[in-house]
Amino acid sequence: MSKVVGIDLGTTNSLVAYVQNGAPVVIRDGSGDGLVPSVVSIGDDGTIFVGREAQRRLLTTSSRTVYSVKRFMGRGIDDVRDEASLLPFRVGGEAGGVVRIGVADREFTPPEISAFVLRELKHRAEEHFREQGEFDFEVDRAVITVPAYFNDAQRTATRDAGRLAGLEVLRIINEPTAASLAYGLDQKNRGTIAVYDLGGGTFDISILKVEDGVFQVLSTNGDTHLGGDDFDQLLMRLVLRELELAGSGGASAEMVQAIRKAVIQAKWDLSDQDDTDIVVEPSAVLPQGYRRRITRDEFEALIRPLIDRTLAPVRQALADAALLPKDIDEVVLVGGSTRIPLVRRMVEELFGRTPHSDLNPDEVVALGAAVQADILISGRREMLLLDVTPLSLGIETMGGVVSKIILRNSTIPASGREMFTSGVDSQTAVDIHVLQGERELAADCRSLARFRLRGIPPMPAGLPRIEVRFQIDANGILAVSATELRTGIEQAIEVKPSYGLTDEEVERMLIESFEHAEADFDARLLIEARNEAESVVHATEKSLRRPDLHRVAEEELQPGELQRIDEALADLKAAIAAPIAH
Amino acid sequence: MTPDPIPVRSVSTLECRNCGAGAPIDEHFCRSCSRILALGRHGDYFSFLGVPRRLNLDMQELERHFRELSRKFHPDYYYNASPTERLASLERSSYLNDAYRTLRNPAARIEHLLAIEGLPPARSDESTGPGQGAAKVPPSLLEEVFALNEELDEVRELRESGADPSALRARLDAARVPIDARRDDHERQLRELSGQWDALPADAAPAAKRAILDALRERLLERNYINNLLATIEREMAGSGLSPLGSGPLGHAPEA
Repeated sequence: MSKVVGIDLGTTNSLVAYVQNGAPVVIRDGSGDGLVPSVVSIGDDGTIFVGREAQRRLLTTSSRTVYSVKRFMGRGIDDVRDEASLLPFRVGGEAGGVVRIGVADREFTPPEISAFVLRELKHRAEEHFREQGEFDFEVDRAVITVPAYFNDAQRTATRDAGRLAGLEVLRIINEPTAASLAYGLDQKNRGTIAVYDLGGGTFDISILKVEDGVFQVLSTNGDTHLGGDDFDQLLMRLVLRELELAGSGGASAEMVQAIRKAVIQAKWDLSDQDDTDIVVEPSAVLPQGYRRRITRDEFEALIRPLIDRTLAPVRQALADAALLPKDIDEVVLVGGSTRIPLVRRMVEELFGRTPHSDLNPDEVVALGAAVQADILISGRREMLLLDVTPLSLGIETMGGVVSKIILRNSTIPASGREMFTSGVDSQTAVDIHVLQGERELAADCRSLARFRLRGIPPMPAGLPRIEVRFQIDANGILAVSATELRTGIEQAIEVKPSYGLTDEEVERMLIESFEHAEADFDARLLIEARNEAESVVHATEKSLRRPDLHRVAEEELQPGELQRIDEALADLKAAIAAPIAH
Repeated sequence: MTPDPIPVRSVSTLECRNCGAGAPIDEHFCRSCSRILALGRHGDYFSFLGVPRRLNLDMQELERHFRELSRKFHPDYYYNASPTERLASLERSSYLNDAYRTLRNPAARIEHLLAIEGLPPARSDESTGPGQGAAKVPPSLLEEVFALNEELDEVRELRESGADPSALRARLDAARVPIDARRDDHERQLRELSGQWDALPADAAPAAKRAILDALRERLLERNYINNLLATIEREMAGSGLSPLGSGPLGHAPEA
């Protein structure tokens, strides 16, 4: 029997997990790392690099490397124009259509880039099962997680990415809900839980009620454009300003990436330390190098306005669940950005209780996805997720006003219906515009699709009674059908997704994807060795940055050992930086 | 949302699509082959959820039934089932979720009761579409509506001439008071009528039932109107200056 896995397809990192002997486990590489950076790089010869190798290439071949593509899933160019400025890759596309990502002379849609990441995870899982001696180690089905606040277009784009990667997407589930499932495993208790999920690019808050193994989401809210990436950008702009390069276009893509790497390291440091240095080592891209002291207070002052932005969605979610902060029994933190002490403090203040973080906030979502995959395949019934649709769904009526058909926070699956008629005699088709969002005017909501109902029997105006049915499935994805009630004729519906791919486009990409070369076996071995070396470098450098390093060196190291460590470290870094020969 | 109007029990039996056996409409699973049944044109959320047709429901019991049925219907458990069963699971789950959401909310519960007892919907005037406020002012509220509209006009004028926002806020707060009082009064009346409905004996005369239902509908219409007024004040507070009074969606077929 082929394998099923749970996948957390993150903005910054992605993970794959599965259920082994009843318990979910993350699949790791040789150096014990479960995270696959969601970075894709394309070599001169068309070879696709994914993960840590692609992350390294970000520093040397920035313009051929794509990261944070999740921010562009299911979106149009008009949504993302502002944030494209510091990115090394081209972000384009026609107005009112899907975003296109330009790398060298090629263009990709965000689902295609995500599919490369998913294929890497599939590959990682298959290697793992093969090593375990599984006869059928193929991984062809997966549960993939998305931010709870993802709209229909973003969910559909994620499902398309799965298809392009050769995976049957068993289910799309929400990240905070997946996390609660992982937490619920060893805590059979009941109560009301708030999951605060601040990741690399997105923020979600979900309020759940857990009873008798049923995890019922009461409400959810969020911001699909708020996360660690934004903190990085603030720091990057600070550095660029100090280098007097902001906005002048004077910074090369490689320099921007070197700065990005440095500020991310500093951001991590400041979760454990009161101050640290932002260090860009001198190199070809920045000969003079850069070093700057930054304190935690300074960093917190910088990012506080962004963290403040998470509070309004939290309050709205509580209001929608008709609860007060004191009604919440447990608060669970998910996502790498919740390691930031300021985030913890603000969440603690808001709910008046210490948040849970027993499980690794980077891994908990993938673990939950694995549990859900196991539920679907095994039919085990001790746990059940009842999630909600995050945004109201409606249609445009005359005057550009939205008539809501399924309200936000409705438990899914959910259905709704609406009656239509013709405006003129013998009209045989009606146009319908489907929207998602809370605002009253269609122009302020998200356009999901335009439908044309055809085949209405010719009748005087106002006589046809066309029932349009909306069905949101357990993935939170919408399907539409319609019937003319007087004749019982089922209507043909043509779908034109506003920010998505048509089935034909996905089919075509599926064929094209077979033509993309992936790194061959030898290259993979080398990449794995470099990954392992990088882990060693990272751990060593972390130790070398300890404030009490000198005391430790004096007490526990041989004379000269520290210097030998430095030399070995420099050699290893040089070896890593050497390009892969092709 | 409550679909309206609801065709109530247009069929009394279903046919199992798996084995062809007949099944009473309140059954969720075929008695003969135990497969999940396709959703017929069901209309009664109370019987679907297995709770009495009362307005004061035991919420814990309602929730327990919801969880139990979710565990029976949810698409998670039909992943490997036939397409027919998967569709039945999807439809039945959706319907269960609609039913639970409706019965959990006291006002929606009354509206649903009115619908299944054959009364016209209490939410809207005949000329407007679903989901929107009534266009016609209930006669008993004419005085308050008149006074409020006058006050809102003045507040808008003052705002445009650059008056102190805190003074405007105080006036709007004052304008709320009589309307809040009317709403509290209506809530009380709705509770009383709900109690009367629940106390009716099973063999109550149709006229007695109808009298309570008519009164419930009347109160609910007024209450919905009052809520619209309060929403208008709140919008005015937020400074949007929008007046939703009497507006509704256009271009939909009138509900037959």
